Amino acid sequence: MMETGRKTGLSRLFSPRWSTESHTGTVVVLVVMIILQTLVLGFDYDSVGHWFSAWGRNWINILRNNAAIGIIALGMTFVIITGGIDLAVGSTLVAIGAASMMMIDIGPKGFLGNLGVTGPFAYAITIICAILMGLILGALTGLLITKGRIAPFVATLGTMKILRSVTQHFMQGYNPRVPRDFLQISNLQVGGLMFMPIIYWLAIAAVLIYVSQRTVFGRQVIAVGSNERAAQLSGVNVDRVKVGAYALTGILVAIASIIQVARIGTMDFANAGSGYEMDAIAAAVVGGTSMRGGRGTIIGTVLGMLIIAVMNNLLNLFGVPPFLREAAKGLIVIAAVLFQRKDNV
Amino acid sequence: MISMKNIWKSFGSNQVLKDVSITINSGEICALIGENGAGKSTLMNILGGVLPADSGTIYLKGQPVQFANPAESLRAGIAFIHQELNLVNDLPVFENMFLGREIRRRGGTLDLETMMAKTEDLFKRMNIDLDPRAMVRDLDASYKQIVEICRAILMDASIIIMDEPTTSLTEPEIKRVFQMMETLRDQGVGIIFISHKLNEVMEICERYMVLRDGELVAEGQVQDVTPDALARFMVGHDVRSEQLSRVMQIGNEILRVENLSHKHAFRNVSFAVRRGEILGFTGLLGDGRSELFQAIFGADAVASGKVFLDGKEVRIHSTEQALELGIGYLPRNRKENGIIKDMNIFENATIVTWPMYSKRGVIDKTRQEAIFARQREQMGIRMQRLTDNISTLSGGNQQKIVLAKWLAARPKVLILDNPTQGVDVGAKEEIYDVILALAEEGMAIIVLSSEAQEIIRLCDRALVMYQGHIQGEVSGSTMNEHDIMKLATGGILNAG
Repeated sequence: MMETGRKTGLSRLFSPRWSTESHTGTVVVLVVMIILQTLVLGFDYDSVGHWFSAWGRNWINILRNNAAIGIIALGMTFVIITGGIDLAVGSTLVAIGAASMMMIDIGPKGFLGNLGVTGPFAYAITIICAILMGLILGALTGLLITKGRIAPFVATLGTMKILRSVTQHFMQGYNPRVPRDFLQISNLQVGGLMFMPIIYWLAIAAVLIYVSQRTVFGRQVIAVGSNERAAQLSGVNVDRVKVGAYALTGILVAIASIIQVARIGTMDFANAGSGYEMDAIAAAVVGGTSMRGGRGTIIGTVLGMLIIAVMNNLLNLFGVPPFLREAAKGLIVIAAVLFQRKDNV
Repeated sequence: MISMKNIWKSFGSNQVLKDVSITINSGEICALIGENGAGKSTLMNILGGVLPADSGTIYLKGQPVQFANPAESLRAGIAFIHQELNLVNDLPVFENMFLGREIRRRGGTLDLETMMAKTEDLFKRMNIDLDPRAMVRDLDASYKQIVEICRAILMDASIIIMDEPTTSLTEPEIKRVFQMMETLRDQGVGIIFISHKLNEVMEICERYMVLRDGELVAEGQVQDVTPDALARFMVGHDVRSEQLSRVMQIGNEILRVENLSHKHAFRNVSFAVRRGEILGFTGLLGDGRSELFQAIFGADAVASGKVFLDGKEVRIHSTEQALELGIGYLPRNRKENGIIKDMNIFENATIVTWPMYSKRGVIDKTRQEAIFARQREQMGIRMQRLTDNISTLSGGNQQKIVLAKWLAARPKVLILDNPTQGVDVGAKEEIYDVILALAEEGMAIIVLSSEAQEIIRLCDRALVMYQGHIQGEVSGSTMNEHDIMKLATGGILNAG
């Protein structure tokens, strides 16, 4: 039988040649959206300079608003490639956010403040603790799934409920005050522009592209997701790879959480981060990651996130009622999966 | 009654079938043999309506016919039973018989009684002792095969194509399937039997057709031909069948197993293997040898008993640990356990050694490429680009890739479970040569195989398993199929 090869996600629409890492289709969709967006923004400016600065600001807004989910989606991609899923990312974000805010609170209950630790040193400790907390929560989830043999969907559905509810309970009537300087992490202005979250996102994506393509861990993730038994019989420690993927996601959620806390200095513990798991999954799927595991790329997920983000912005510019925007998101996810399934027949 | 005339077929620049003409008569079993890649599957896929021919005609009872899809071919009475059976494990036998063509009552509900009755009726007519209510999951491989055949009969098939039906069957199961085939033949059904096993062809078929490189190179009556001649037709030159010889330098004992037991699969297994030795493990399918070595390799639940490596007791809990200790295991069932379909050739060939040849977690691609380039030459792996998907390779070359990934790790003990499964005669010999060379270099090799011929040709001595324990040992030049079969079926050899 002839092997014609399989393209991933939307790329099948446009890419005639075989490559598991082709993103032509996704890129084309994105470019079309960018052009549309540019047209909708219009050229009604007195100079090219003004137009460009409006265009650029619009872009920075889009990217900044999606940086946190974009970072989480990168971890989600690893998890999905192993054949798993992590529904708890939103709740983990809130839990870590709450813990971080308690540490740096400048009010009477602030943990580090009471120890006499303040300023940049306190921020550093907070960030390190947040990352450790993400790592531990992620690793525990991974252990539940591997050693505990609980299906990823069920295990993370459980941790999602637990983390959200426990966080809300402990944060009742407590509103930590985040020091102003801490907000610089997300709001530092360079040349009048605020783009720090974007830098974090793209830098992490660059590192993870390398991890996914060149490292033992990155390739073992693919092997485990594609054929777990064959990977195991090739000497791959399947459990450790899976735990690693969830732990990595935990770390990325922690980073996203710090970025969120530092953006406005408060967090709505009941609602913050809810729906992030679905947005992250959507970004991965639109970018060509297969929910069956074994296939997916970090670049794809970045592109997928961009497509969703630009589309949101477009719908906004078009004046589509906010309640309908989610429907558009739903449609594009379904379309992406439809093309994927065609590939697998 | 059905014939294919002047069939041509190419995939891109690759000419797969060159002017092939064949005929299959009613009431005969006809063997279609050839190496992997000879064009057997393509030819049968054209007959089964899976692929269109570039040119040529199919005649059914003298009339030209065209099959646009498998359903049309089936309607014309041609049933194709693929190697991977199309049965649903979680449904009972009789529902599987009507899969996709369920009988319904007027309201749209399933008419289970009628389906049940029809199945019972057919089983009675075919003399099959099988409860239609049994779950397919609980059937052994031969009965699954038989259910597939019955389904074909239920669809009034007059030609049945069977693609390597005996690959995963034990000796008694093969007998059962053969009986069924003979019953069908006597009822006037024509059967095309695709197989690699020449002794089976000799046993069950009346006629043979041999494809080589897309051409029909020989056909005739089985009674007029020897297995050696058939093998020669397939590869185009003489085939070795004598015991393979090598420079034997048996060294120190390297792996010793004492009283290894497992809940169900095996019990009280003890043996030892030395450097440079090729030790065989054989028996019927389900004798527990795969489970035994997967346990030693750390892939499954820990068994009780002791394992010694280089004289030191080891407790192996994971395959990763086994690899670090120097034990390699090439699994049976390449498709499920060996190849990783979403990865390319190069990655499949190097996965085992990623952790060994890496710096701070980053894979040393240059070094891996150098190693693979050498292996590619030594093992004669025929492939295009490193980045091609693994599934673009033929079975034999895929198996060489799976072997290559273990050789790169240079294990002290290499366990080969069915190393030539689904591999054609030529590639088989090449794999044997690799195994012999490894033994000469001092590696201890354990070959698991249910083919007595393979054990006899390759191994210095062999342990025969029966229902989870070692029933006996055969060794040296006195090894023969008769003794092996006797032990494998629970008998004992007379002393002396």
